[in-house]
Amino acid sequence: MPSMTEAVPLSWVLLLAGALFCIGLFGALSRRNTVGILLGIELMLNAVNINLVAFWRYLEPNVVAGQTFALFVVTVAAAEAAVGLAMIIAIYRSRQTVNADEVDSLRG
Amino acid sequence: MSFQLTDIPRILPELMLLLLALLVVGSDVLTRWGRDPKARAERAREAGQLTAIGLGLVFVVALIQSRLLFTVPDPTGGPLDVLLTLGRNLQAGGPGGPALLGAFATDEFTMVARLTFVGAALLTSLLAMGYRLTANPGEFYSLLIFSTLGMSLMAAATEFILAYLALELSSIALYVLAGYFRESDRSPEAGLKYFLFGSLSSAIFLYGISLVYGFVASENQKAGGTPIIATLFSEVGRLATGEAASNPLLTLGMLFIVAGLGYKISVVPFHSWAPDVYQGAPPPVTAFLSTASKTAGFLLLYRLLTTAFPGAVGAPRLETFSGWTSLLAILALVTVIVANLAALPQTNARRLLAYSSIGHAGFVLLAILLWTSSSQVDRDFGTMALFYYLITYTITNVGSFGVLAVVSGAIGNDDLSDMNGMWRRNLPLTLMMTILILSLAGIPPLAGFWAKFFVFMAGYQAGAVPLVAIAVVMTVVSLYYYLRFLKAMWMNPAPATTPIVTPRIANAAIVASTILVVLLGIVPNLIWGALSGTTAFAGR
Repeated sequence: MPSMTEAVPLSWVLLLAGALFCIGLFGALSRRNTVGILLGIELMLNAVNINLVAFWRYLEPNVVAGQTFALFVVTVAAAEAAVGLAMIIAIYRSRQTVNADEVDSLRG
Repeated sequence: MSFQLTDIPRILPELMLLLLALLVVGSDVLTRWGRDPKARAERAREAGQLTAIGLGLVFVVALIQSRLLFTVPDPTGGPLDVLLTLGRNLQAGGPGGPALLGAFATDEFTMVARLTFVGAALLTSLLAMGYRLTANPGEFYSLLIFSTLGMSLMAAATEFILAYLALELSSIALYVLAGYFRESDRSPEAGLKYFLFGSLSSAIFLYGISLVYGFVASENQKAGGTPIIATLFSEVGRLATGEAASNPLLTLGMLFIVAGLGYKISVVPFHSWAPDVYQGAPPPVTAFLSTASKTAGFLLLYRLLTTAFPGAVGAPRLETFSGWTSLLAILALVTVIVANLAALPQTNARRLLAYSSIGHAGFVLLAILLWTSSSQVDRDFGTMALFYYLITYTITNVGSFGVLAVVSGAIGNDDLSDMNGMWRRNLPLTLMMTILILSLAGIPPLAGFWAKFFVFMAGYQAGAVPLVAIAVVMTVVSLYYYLRFLKAMWMNPAPATTPIVTPRIANAAIVASTILVVLLGIVPNLIWGALSGTTAFAGR
């Protein structure tokens, strides 16, 4: 029975992360709903986490840097999402919309 | 590398900022204020005073600690011994020595940056005190301090995790500050836009970091796999030599990192949030985020690129891609052209200054290009030019956005037409704004002239002659919109003759920045000498 790191090469995991990052980026740039944009950004952050954990597991499993970094990213992402959702609610209360195209009083 | 008790004085200003922020937000809870408007105004005043005094204290401590002004002599047995010992102990945490835990550099680079941020926050808190704050003033000021703390850590970071956390600390606080006026139409929108752009960019920045981390881990494994801290900037720099320097993983990581930080320093094409946010955020917040936040971004970028990617410097040629200087040269070219042309038709004063500030980011990039030179003297000059530009830019823009804060506080709006005939309504304010605008335009006896002069010199020495030529042309173009601003204030007829009253406390901040702009213009050596120490930063 081969170990996990032998059965699945690192490049597969990195491709998964790359694909997830691209999907997230596309979502963030193409969605009109601000909650959708936020979800896209969360996908990108998860791609980063997969990258970090994969590099750590395959290349330096005896050190904790990659793992620790992933934990920090998760924590900060939660804080960021809290602030973002609060702002979306504030916008929704005053304008009854969360659509990025309709939030456009600032332009020029 | 482990944490020792003697390391505490070295991060004393940061610890003080943290305590101050907690104290200010706590004071909101501990005081009784409720819905009574008079008690609210009183509360806002108290929170502002606490912040201003606290930041002043941090500034003094950081100034003593930096040894920029003087070195405290040994205690001699006289009556002043208590003070001398205190000073000695403070300066024990001064510049020099290895980076704290390898992640936090305590060199003069950090010290000067720290002073810039705390100074900008102090001036901003004075501006905010002169502005009507409605709800939860303690929160407002504590977010300002948290953001300052984040910026200070950004400039000091020599490790990716700390750099990311510092970036987020300063950004998240600023998102909330930008959307602080919940009842207004524009402020929440500015906050939301800033948040969306910011978090998208930080995700891109992080992806770059993860690639660079992978590069370091794999190179280290190839080299034998001795355990190292793979997220240190210096480890990247150490392993990215020779063959490995052109590793695609590293190049891609670097591109993502520059793109991610590009939003923080608002260079074209990552600038589109800036005009909206600068226009929509509460005016004192604009003064802060257009200056300190951008300065922090530049300093992090500079330290990161020079320490982690010394092998990928390249040359600032526009034709071929050869490393990060050519990348930055392209960004600088696009930035100076797009920003200065886009500023021409603007009708809102804050939007106009926003485009002007994007243009300034393009000029600052010229100073970074000089790292391409192999001579240490040249590189030192580039670092000093970078610092000089960032400091004078910070002072000038805090002042000019401060004037706009006063005007929009008095009139309720800040279109260019609202400045019409301002000299009839408040002559001293108009005079100070004129000085600040002329400094932004780079007119000789003022600080902005020397700043531009130094960065153009740096760009010229780096060999980016066509770029410098275009930048000079764009400086002339920028005169048009700066003069339009002056014309509105001095020549256009005033719509009303009611005087614009400057709150006394905000006036102090504007007067201070105007005096500094004039002083630094007449005697640029005033800080140029002090900046020579910053060149010995940890990445060199």
